[in-house]
Amino acid sequence: MIFSTELLIQTVISGLMVGVLYALMALGITFIYSIVKTINWAMGEFYMIGSYIQFVAVHFLLGPRWWWLAALISMAGTFLIGLLLEPILIKPMYSRPMQRRDDYATVVTIALLLLLRSLAVALGGPYQYRPESDLSVIWIGPLPQEGARVAASVCALLALAAFWIVIKKTWIGLALRAAAQNRIAVQTSGVDVYRLDAVAFAIGVALAGLAGALLAPLFMVFPTNGAVTSVKGFEIIVIGGLGSIPGALIGGLLLGLVESLGAAFISSPYQNVYGFLLVILILIVKPNGLFGERGREA
Amino acid sequence: MSPRLTTGLGAFVDWRRVAVIAAVALPPFLVLPLLVGEFFVHILAIGAYYIVLAASWNMLAGFTGQFSLAQHGFAAVGAYGSGLLVYHLHTPLWVSIPAAVAMAAAGGLLLGLLVLRMRAIYLSIATWAFAETLRIFLGAAYDFTRGDLGLSVPSLYGHVRPIAYYYTFLGVAVLSLLLIHILLKSPVGYFMRAVRDDPMRAQSLAVDTTRVKLFAFVVSSAMAGLAGALYAHYVLTLTPSIVDFSEMARIIVMVVIGGMGSFVGPIIAAPAIYALNTWLAAWGEWSMVVFAAIVIIVMRAYPAGLSGLLAAAARLWRRRSKPSGTTAAV
Repeated sequence: MIFSTELLIQTVISGLMVGVLYALMALGITFIYSIVKTINWAMGEFYMIGSYIQFVAVHFLLGPRWWWLAALISMAGTFLIGLLLEPILIKPMYSRPMQRRDDYATVVTIALLLLLRSLAVALGGPYQYRPESDLSVIWIGPLPQEGARVAASVCALLALAAFWIVIKKTWIGLALRAAAQNRIAVQTSGVDVYRLDAVAFAIGVALAGLAGALLAPLFMVFPTNGAVTSVKGFEIIVIGGLGSIPGALIGGLLLGLVESLGAAFISSPYQNVYGFLLVILILIVKPNGLFGERGREA
Repeated sequence: MSPRLTTGLGAFVDWRRVAVIAAVALPPFLVLPLLVGEFFVHILAIGAYYIVLAASWNMLAGFTGQFSLAQHGFAAVGAYGSGLLVYHLHTPLWVSIPAAVAMAAAGGLLLGLLVLRMRAIYLSIATWAFAETLRIFLGAAYDFTRGDLGLSVPSLYGHVRPIAYYYTFLGVAVLSLLLIHILLKSPVGYFMRAVRDDPMRAQSLAVDTTRVKLFAFVVSSAMAGLAGALYAHYVLTLTPSIVDFSEMARIIVMVVIGGMGSFVGPIIAAPAIYALNTWLAAWGEWSMVVFAAIVIIVMRAYPAGLSGLLAAAARLWRRRSKPSGTTAAV
């Protein structure tokens, strides 16, 4: 392996750029967890839906020039699907007397995963698609970077900023933060907590859908394309700490970095294995994650 | 494990009832393969394989409340463990299969030690990541595992006539079910249910909850490893697709439709769903869509599953046959 400063810098940059996308995915998981108190195991399938919408929009309707509009449509589409599914699937967890809520939510979201994956194969076939991208290579100093990758990470950063504004500056963001702290208190203050759940779920899956749309030209579009990315999302959750938003962001960047360095300097076929090794390391050294707190059991 | 966890093993097992049920239920399954075609025997053999996976996962998830998402992963550890030993070191099968079971158990122990102290959700996340990483690793390390080309392994009996394998899988399934039954009827089985229902209270009553979880996880992983190793020496070609998450989803579908936390339900549901799956193969993915939808409906409308239906039917029948009799829980 030839070592050079240029290669190192390029590897770090591309690792951080993919890391932002992973962070988007992890943020979705951790955000849903902090409000609805359950893990949405079908997260990767919303990523998959986002990438399919992106492909259909770019390939059949808009053309590669309007890729950013397609990404917005993908995000809105997954948001709506999430908004529609949550009351059917997740709401019974709270609206009915139930002994084992966590089990209910786990089984139902895993069934949803199976349903969406099979549906994708049934409708689109097991083929790989790729939306065209006419973005040219972008030079950062003397270093070339794939245009689609740069565009994806810039859009992901914009989405993170938008998320931050919604959470910190709007009324619904305030309500969501309150619900994350205490569901009953929010309900007592006259806020419909079930609707907050639906909104939180929809925002979370929309982040996954956006990640899918942005990564579609790089990682392809096929029925199980969400599997690898969602595993990274879950790994980041362990690395950063469950329920921690800074943890999701830092963990995402860290995972992107470790992967990209490992692929460049150790061995590239094992790129997707390094994340798990990082998880094992974190579990040994700091079991609650970098930013995790012990967190009350709800 | 300390002697404390396994003391009184089988103390409350009603051996006579077990013997009667075995005497009634087993003969049809012993005679059945002689009456039907070879393909059907094959389906039955794989059905018995899924009984082991579903029942062992049910012991872990349904009775101990620990949602591992790597039951298929440990089956793959067993399958590839035995297959790789034979492929690279030419070990005989009577060495490689027990070694593979030990590998699966050790994997469960290590993973369990890392995450079972934490909130329950960590086990699900870590096992999911473990299984997916295993799949990626098996594909990436192709000079060692032969990746997607497939690892060829020798057959268990030197031939692949399904009937011999059917009896093997049936035997393993019966022994596993017996072991699970004994465990569930012993003190450790009651600890498991205590850990599931109220871990805090169990801990306050001096149950070492982490150890109970670890015990259930290791036993369940070892069973999956055994089933996987035998499966490997029946199907003869291993590819990373055996760690596909759809395998885990299938196990969950079987257990949920059968009834989570019911002993009998998954045993009936596992082969039935596998057979239905094969029978509906012409509809391809649509059959999986339907099964997934059924799981959602069962969870929403009738979480007790098939076994709940059976229990309700049994209660009704009992009430009708002797009106004054008490209705005991089944």
